[in-house]
Amino acid sequence: MSLVPRGATYTTAVTWRQYLVWRKLLWSSLATNIANPILFLFAFGFGLGRFIDSIDGMTYLAFVVPGMIAYSAMFSASFETTIGSFSRYYMHRTWDATLATPVTLVELLLGEVVWAAVKSLLSALSVLAIGWVWGGIPSVSGALLALPVVFVASIGFACYGLVATSLARGYEFFSYFFTFWVTPMFVFSGVFFSIERFPPGVQVISWLLPMTHLIAVIRPLSAGLPLDPGWTLLHLGYLVALTVVAFLFAYAKIRRRIFD
Amino acid sequence: MADSPIIAARALIKRYGKLEAVKGIDFAVERARCIGLLGPNGAGKTTTMRMVMGLATVSAGELTVFGVPVQKMDRQTKAKIGLVPQENSLDPDITVSENLAVYGRYYGLSAAVIAEQVPRLLAFMQLQGRASARVIQLSGGMKRRLVIARALIGDPELLILDEPTTGLDPQARVMIWKQLMELKKQGKTLLLTTHYMDEAQRLCDRIIVIDHGEILDEGTPGQLIARHVKGHVFEVQKPLPNGMADGSWDQEDIGDAILYYVQSPPDILNELPDDAVYLHRPANLEDVFLRLTGRKLRET
Ligand SMILES: Nc1ncnc2c1ncn2[C@@H]1O[C@H](COP(=O)(O)OP(=O)(O)OP(=O)(O)O)[C@@H](O)[C@H]1O
Ligand SMILES: [Mg+2]
Repeated sequence: MSLVPRGATYTTAVTWRQYLVWRKLLWSSLATNIANPILFLFAFGFGLGRFIDSIDGMTYLAFVVPGMIAYSAMFSASFETTIGSFSRYYMHRTWDATLATPVTLVELLLGEVVWAAVKSLLSALSVLAIGWVWGGIPSVSGALLALPVVFVASIGFACYGLVATSLARGYEFFSYFFTFWVTPMFVFSGVFFSIERFPPGVQVISWLLPMTHLIAVIRPLSAGLPLDPGWTLLHLGYLVALTVVAFLFAYAKIRRRIFD
Repeated sequence: MADSPIIAARALIKRYGKLEAVKGIDFAVERARCIGLLGPNGAGKTTTMRMVMGLATVSAGELTVFGVPVQKMDRQTKAKIGLVPQENSLDPDITVSENLAVYGRYYGLSAAVIAEQVPRLLAFMQLQGRASARVIQLSGGMKRRLVIARALIGDPELLILDEPTTGLDPQARVMIWKQLMELKKQGKTLLLTTHYMDEAQRLCDRIIVIDHGEILDEGTPGQLIARHVKGHVFEVQKPLPNGMADGSWDQEDIGDAILYYVQSPPDILNELPDDAVYLHRPANLEDVFLRLTGRKLRET
């Protein structure tokens, strides 16, 4: 037998299916991946950046690019496991069809989550490339080191989306998810200004949101600044713990919805 | 194990909240047979099939598939079953052959086996010209054939077919019947639901009639006909001729006519007056079905 556990081949089978679909939409996905960061960097770099010389010991561009990397990864995974997964589960009933095969529910959900994280990684990579061309990545090696962290965090973002899918009865439900989860992370996680500007009470909210922890790790990396090992472990630990809780919750909920 | 049934249900119950969709049924499906599950809308057919597939949990009772309780169904057992669900559930984002290939991966097949199986199955369901079409470009009948092809990708020993020919034209139905008979000849076991009685009569070795989650009767099509509607039906228009209204006949009032079930035509022809308006035909499964499950519509 191979070293890869048997279950992994079934999980990658699910991921492979997503890849087949993505391949067909390659150009449109590439176009959005490139156009989005350019538009954002244009707004922040030219607009806000003009008024800010340096922030937290780096140029404003170096500050905002890792924020954008995190946000685009978060948005991409969130979209994939909400609107995307819900369509497959509820509208097209392909989850039902999948579960009629030897694929188990855990493998199906993992396949969805892994693919969402791969897509996140691709958007992160394109923001990174454009940010670098724009001059917003002081440490390329640091930024590349940040990518695995983005991937791990994106597994989490995918799981939070799955939680929303496990509760959704229709597409309208996801407007709550985007309004009360995705947008707050854009606002409170320090994408385009330091969360230290917030009053302490609001900062508590910031630190509850997983994206804040992701940015706290990848911003010093891409800026070429030192990382505090203790805090870094804490950030990563929080991301992983929240991911596990979200996955287990989504799994239990979806299991009940499909099989009972 | 050779003679033990492929599917065995004992006192099988399924509850959705307060609703008891399946109320303690017992049945068995033997190897290399085609067993038909017939019943009106909402009878519990799909629910029963979903329990067999492990897609719905069993509320109470026992259900084994290939001798394994469904709660403990492992991958090897699952790989021996193919499902044609009532609703198509095809993947609209990928092509016809990709639908089959993806499903092949779900069954853990190697790329080589998939490459060999896909064209074979497309040909088997006469879809070879559509391999690279998108699912949305297929007609309803083609989609149905693709769902059947998909169920066969893992070369299953047991095929579960939930209304496989609903919505198909007569040509497609005949073609699918032929292919299903072929599968049975190959030794595959079939569990089938249908609302077409001619289909059940043609394909099924044994029929289980189910309604409101309970089994009403089961047997071969011939046994069921003999048991419930004898061999011939005389539909006699009202008002009834003298002498026909007494209770000595096996009869059923259907409103503006009475149905008389008789073993052989002379039994009743000798009694019918010359002026009686009637229709005579051999009894069929449809008569059995309506007699057992009633004639009222099931839209509740
Ligand atoms: N997921 C579910 N949740 C709640 N009730 C359900 C669910 N699925 C089926 N039912 C109910 O269970 C009963 C049996 O439904 P089932 O789908 O098994 O019928 P069926 O015999 O397949 O009917 P049809 O011929 O219309 O397909 C119905 O009363 C139906 O409303
Ligand atoms: Mg049904």
